[in-house]
Amino acid sequence: MEKILIPVDGSANAERAVVHVIAMIRKGRAVEVHLVNVQPPLRENVTRFIARSEIEGYHREEGEKALAGAKKRLADAGIAATSHIGVGPAAETIADFATDIGADEIVMGTRGLGGLAGLLLGSVATEVIREAKVPVTLVK
Amino acid sequence: MSEVVEFFSQPHFWIGLLQIIGIDILLSGDNAVVIALACRSLPAHQRRRGIVLGAAAAIVLRIIFAAFIVHLLAVPYLKIVGGALLFWIAIKLLLPEEGDDQDSGGVDAARNLFQAVKTIVIADAVMSLDNVVGIAAAAKGDVVLVALGLVISIPLIVYGSTLILKLLDRFPIIVAAGGALLGYIAGETMVTDIVLLDWVHENAAWLHYAAPAGGAVFVVAAGMIVARLRRRVLRRIEQRAAEPARSDGR
Repeated sequence: MEKILIPVDGSANAERAVVHVIAMIRKGRAVEVHLVNVQPPLRENVTRFIARSEIEGYHREEGEKALAGAKKRLADAGIAATSHIGVGPAAETIADFATDIGADEIVMGTRGLGGLAGLLLGSVATEVIREAKVPVTLVK
Repeated sequence: MSEVVEFFSQPHFWIGLLQIIGIDILLSGDNAVVIALACRSLPAHQRRRGIVLGAAAAIVLRIIFAAFIVHLLAVPYLKIVGGALLFWIAIKLLLPEEGDDQDSGGVDAARNLFQAVKTIVIADAVMSLDNVVGIAAAAKGDVVLVALGLVISIPLIVYGSTLILKLLDRFPIIVAAGGALLGYIAGETMVTDIVLLDWVHENAAWLHYAAPAGGAVFVVAAGMIVARLRRRVLRRIEQRAAEPARSDGR
């Protein structure tokens, strides 16, 4: 069984990566699906006053929002998936995460929420290609 | 009438105003985020009260601090101190939250409105001081600019939390730009302290350009170095396996 990591940021583009993996599975590939949403860290200027549990709760809430669409698609397709939420610089965290969980491949959208319209390849996707130690499939 | 027109056509007024808007967006926006986060776990009606009280306290504190600081800027050495404080504020602005393995301030989550307000008032005091020092330094003694800075901060404190979070998500470079701006202003402030003003004017007028520029560079460089020295933030907050009902029998 292959482990595939799908980084998701709540954008339509990211969901197309999920659709692609669903299609893969339908064609017969045995895949263990992992979703990850990486939250940008808050600044210390803000977090120094707030309890750690609140900060984690905030990140968890925002992460769940970003993951919701992707989780729904997988649930509708009857596919089990493990979802994760990370905090840190997006591309590095995704690449490290893939290594951590022993993913065989990363499947992601080309431009997420951060992409400027008209840019073919977003900065996160570009950096993930650079940082990842596993094959990366980009879905337009 | 022409005096008023002349006043508004002075470039240093508009430059000062733009700087103040930038400072307010970051520092008042952050204040709004802290207020929102401190009230996060409260039940809805208490949360609203907490945010209103928090915002009101922040505004009042800013007015009080501004009234003091505007007078103090003429006191010898205080601009040097203010400039140093601004450098400190600027670098702090650039640092990301601490990772899992580091101990945060040990603040406890607020379980009721009173606890939340306690947290907020402390945060407000510190952040209002930061904000006012920034505004006063950028205003360079112009009381109108200070007043405008305070007025602009009000809607930002009340509504700025979502704005700044979305803005920084889309354009994270704004943080570095804000730090550089504060560093620029800090350099300028230190070099124009009343004890240095005449000496610099006669012997080292180039410092009027070098100090702000150097200040901006210093802040960005220091921010990058300190952030690198700290362990990179990598947190895994949640791991959950979702087993949806299988409709296709596979």
